[in-house]
Amino acid sequence: MNPRRKLVLLLTLLGVAHLVIACGGFFAPYDPTAQDRDRPYAPPMRVHLVNSAGHFHLRPFVYAQQLREGTFDEYVSDTSQPIPLKFFVSGARYKLFGLIPIRIHFFDAEGDAPPVFLLGSDAYGRDLLSRTLYGGQISLLAGLLATALALSVGLLIGSLAGFFGGWTDDLLMRAAELFLALPWLYLLFAIRAFLPLAVSPLQAFFLVVILIGTVGWARPARLIRGVVLSAKERDYVRAARGFGASNIYLLRRHILPQTWNVVLTQAAILVPQYVLAEVTLSFLGLGVPEPAPSWGNILSSLQQYSVLSSYWWMFLPSVAIVCFFLGYLALASALQDVADKSKI
Amino acid sequence: MQIAEPLLKVESLVKRYKSSATSVHPESAAAVDGVSLAIPPKKTLALVGESGSGKSTLAFCIASMERPTAGRIWVDGIELTTLSERELRAVRPRVQLIFQDPAAAMNPRWTALQIVAEPMVIQNQIARGEQFDRAQILLERVGLSASAGSRRLAEFSGGQRQRLAIARALALDPKLLILDEAFSALDCSVQAQMVNLLIELQSSVGITCLFITHDLAMAALIADQIAVMDRGRIVESGDASDVVLHPMQEYTRALLAASPRMSQPPAAHNS
Amino acid sequence: MRYFLKRLSHAIFLLLGVSILSFVFTSLAPGNYFDEMRLNPQISPDTVAALRAHYGVNRPVVVRYARWLASVAHGDLGFSFAYNTPAAPLLWTRAWNTLLLTLTATLLSWLIALPLGIWSAERKGRAPDIAVTSATGFLLAIPDLLLALGLLILAVRTGWFPTGGMFSVGSESLSWFGKMRDLISHMALPVTALVLGALPLLVRHVRSAMAEVLGSGFLRAAQAHGIPRRTILYRYALPAAAHPLISLFGFSIGALLSGSLIVEVVMSWPGLGPLLLEAILARDLYLVIGGVMLSTVFLVAGNFIADLLLYWADPRIRTS
Repeated sequence: MNPRRKLVLLLTLLGVAHLVIACGGFFAPYDPTAQDRDRPYAPPMRVHLVNSAGHFHLRPFVYAQQLREGTFDEYVSDTSQPIPLKFFVSGARYKLFGLIPIRIHFFDAEGDAPPVFLLGSDAYGRDLLSRTLYGGQISLLAGLLATALALSVGLLIGSLAGFFGGWTDDLLMRAAELFLALPWLYLLFAIRAFLPLAVSPLQAFFLVVILIGTVGWARPARLIRGVVLSAKERDYVRAARGFGASNIYLLRRHILPQTWNVVLTQAAILVPQYVLAEVTLSFLGLGVPEPAPSWGNILSSLQQYSVLSSYWWMFLPSVAIVCFFLGYLALASALQDVADKSKI
Repeated sequence: MQIAEPLLKVESLVKRYKSSATSVHPESAAAVDGVSLAIPPKKTLALVGESGSGKSTLAFCIASMERPTAGRIWVDGIELTTLSERELRAVRPRVQLIFQDPAAAMNPRWTALQIVAEPMVIQNQIARGEQFDRAQILLERVGLSASAGSRRLAEFSGGQRQRLAIARALALDPKLLILDEAFSALDCSVQAQMVNLLIELQSSVGITCLFITHDLAMAALIADQIAVMDRGRIVESGDASDVVLHPMQEYTRALLAASPRMSQPPAAHNS
Repeated sequence: MRYFLKRLSHAIFLLLGVSILSFVFTSLAPGNYFDEMRLNPQISPDTVAALRAHYGVNRPVVVRYARWLASVAHGDLGFSFAYNTPAAPLLWTRAWNTLLLTLTATLLSWLIALPLGIWSAERKGRAPDIAVTSATGFLLAIPDLLLALGLLILAVRTGWFPTGGMFSVGSESLSWFGKMRDLISHMALPVTALVLGALPLLVRHVRSAMAEVLGSGFLRAAQAHGIPRRTILYRYALPAAAHPLISLFGFSIGALLSGSLIVEVVMSWPGLGPLLLEAILARDLYLVIGGVMLSTVFLVAGNFIADLLLYWADPRIRTS
């Protein structure tokens, strides 16, 4: 498949995936913070089409789960209580994109039926599927925003260094080298630690974004500087100077358009890295705090031995993480291919 | 010999580059080492020399793409060396340089019309519509088809690209046109066409030219005067026919001998 | 010699710069260890004030940095508020454990990546190469955190490996051999996690560096001379690809160090990672700075060694 088509295909796939996450409220049957203390650590429910008597139903259904008498974490499927899944049902209120109040969900059980845990539930009986979807919103957004920040700073500094050269270049690139030598994960943690630990989810979110973005400008800056440096020496730039062009004109019309490729490829590489940074921070309790879900803090219960050994479904959100990372990696590779092609 | 004030006057120009650790000579090398020359208006001077003789450096200095280390340059009566960067920007359009490699000299992502119109866009003295009209006219002037305007650089051949470069150079009505080995990378037949184009432009537009080349034969064809450059210095100069028929310096004789087409020096075009 | 000094001074410059940056960053932040103390009603404000004065926490940044620098020159890395002991011994023990893990992982991953990358490069474009590229691509998408967690789940469910720590309880009574076995069984999972995390990039780079070299003329000439394939690969091709690979080596050490933090925490390996995390959560300033600096030292040292190796391996550097 030719590189351009592959790129378009990947972009479409990733776009759809992001859309699903963005519409998390629609695809999630429940509010991510809604607890069901009667059903902690419920295992994932299997979706059936054929009931225990062997009858086929067109509408998929699940069996209600009850805690076995006398235990606190063993569940029994109640085959006498099939719960049909309805699509596009009216359920709990939520706000689509955080703006539009709406009640329609992609699927849910109807009325007063017990909750449907497609991916199981956590310690507080919260639906893992819903938490994964909402958590994705936070983690992905954090990654995207941090990338935008790091790239903007990197673009600015890289362009300045490459275009003006001389001691500006020396100074800025030495600073970049310093930032690159930092074990940035460690520093991230360190800085985060010395800021107030108990902050609201919103504050924590922006904190994480700004921290990551401020530490991560160095690599893109170096790459962009390289592009600007070589673009600056091109004959057509000299020619434009010969026509009386100002520096701003040269940057705007000839040099910066050349950086586009690098910026895009870097974006595809950085987003997963920064999402991972947010996930790691939240996993360790330094990022987005409870009860707001993030892919990181959903996984953090796995630090307990009991969860590791008995409640394996708590690991399921990692599938979402890996899928997105795969997508971004493929995107970066596809962008590289398209860029290489156009150079020939 | 000079009836009118020369359009280009260069006096004792010196250009040194700071040596890097890898250069052979420890002290800084002078690419241009005390060059003086003058070109009367509407005439063509050919600067002939081998690679490394400093001709391109000289050209860049005259086109104010480099600042000379010492010496003075006058273009159309204006002294370039004392101007500030801002003032220089206003004067630069009077001198236009055409590079050896046309593919590198123009932005590969732009259309022909955009390329030719760029000087006018930058100077912004006339309306946008008029800019593109003029660009269209210039395209046809240099022998490109009317539909060439919307094509991108990659779709043109080497010779066509140089025509494009010339069209662009003419956009601001320059007084001095410098051609830095502009035809050297082209096929022989194409070179002939370009030489004809240049001669035709010389007579119709009356442009003053500095034609840089290593090819003495081409120089004799195009130029009124020839200056021979060796290692940063002018070793011989004079009327084209004089230099070619009666060379005085050893170096000039060597160049003549090395040139395959000079077994029978052709008559200079305006003798 | 000049090269050595040049790279050394460069490394020192980096370390100084990083130390300044870390100090500045952590000082800019408005919190410190004593904030938590202040909230504790059982400790009188006077005690807190006295402690703060004693540790010089309320002095300006420059003074604190100067004092810290001075103490570093004495081999003392400041004081840990939480542990109430000098920071250095704490850090060193943990650092050795981290080094043990990281160096083993580096060695193993290169031992696997080199042959694998070369093998893949030889068969570039064909099925084996595509298999390797896909596998590494997939692995690349799995972050260290998830690798560690996944391996842990495996350990817990199969019981084949211990699920944390460095030694089993009561291991002191074992023979030397027994202790080694115990250590290795505890190291197995974290090292696997680190190796799996590092392999994809290494394999890819080895593959591309080798693929470039394998297309060269001088190799075909060697082949025409009848030199056996393996000799060509390892005695001719590999040295030619050495330059980017050695740089990669320096980089991989640094990357492993960053990766090891989370692996250590998840797998309860007593290295710098968990110590740093603890110090961070307790806002134990000097321990945090010490931890950050130590890991930077390792990173910079890794690159420095790579620079030296490069000098030894690539004659072009010697003449420039």
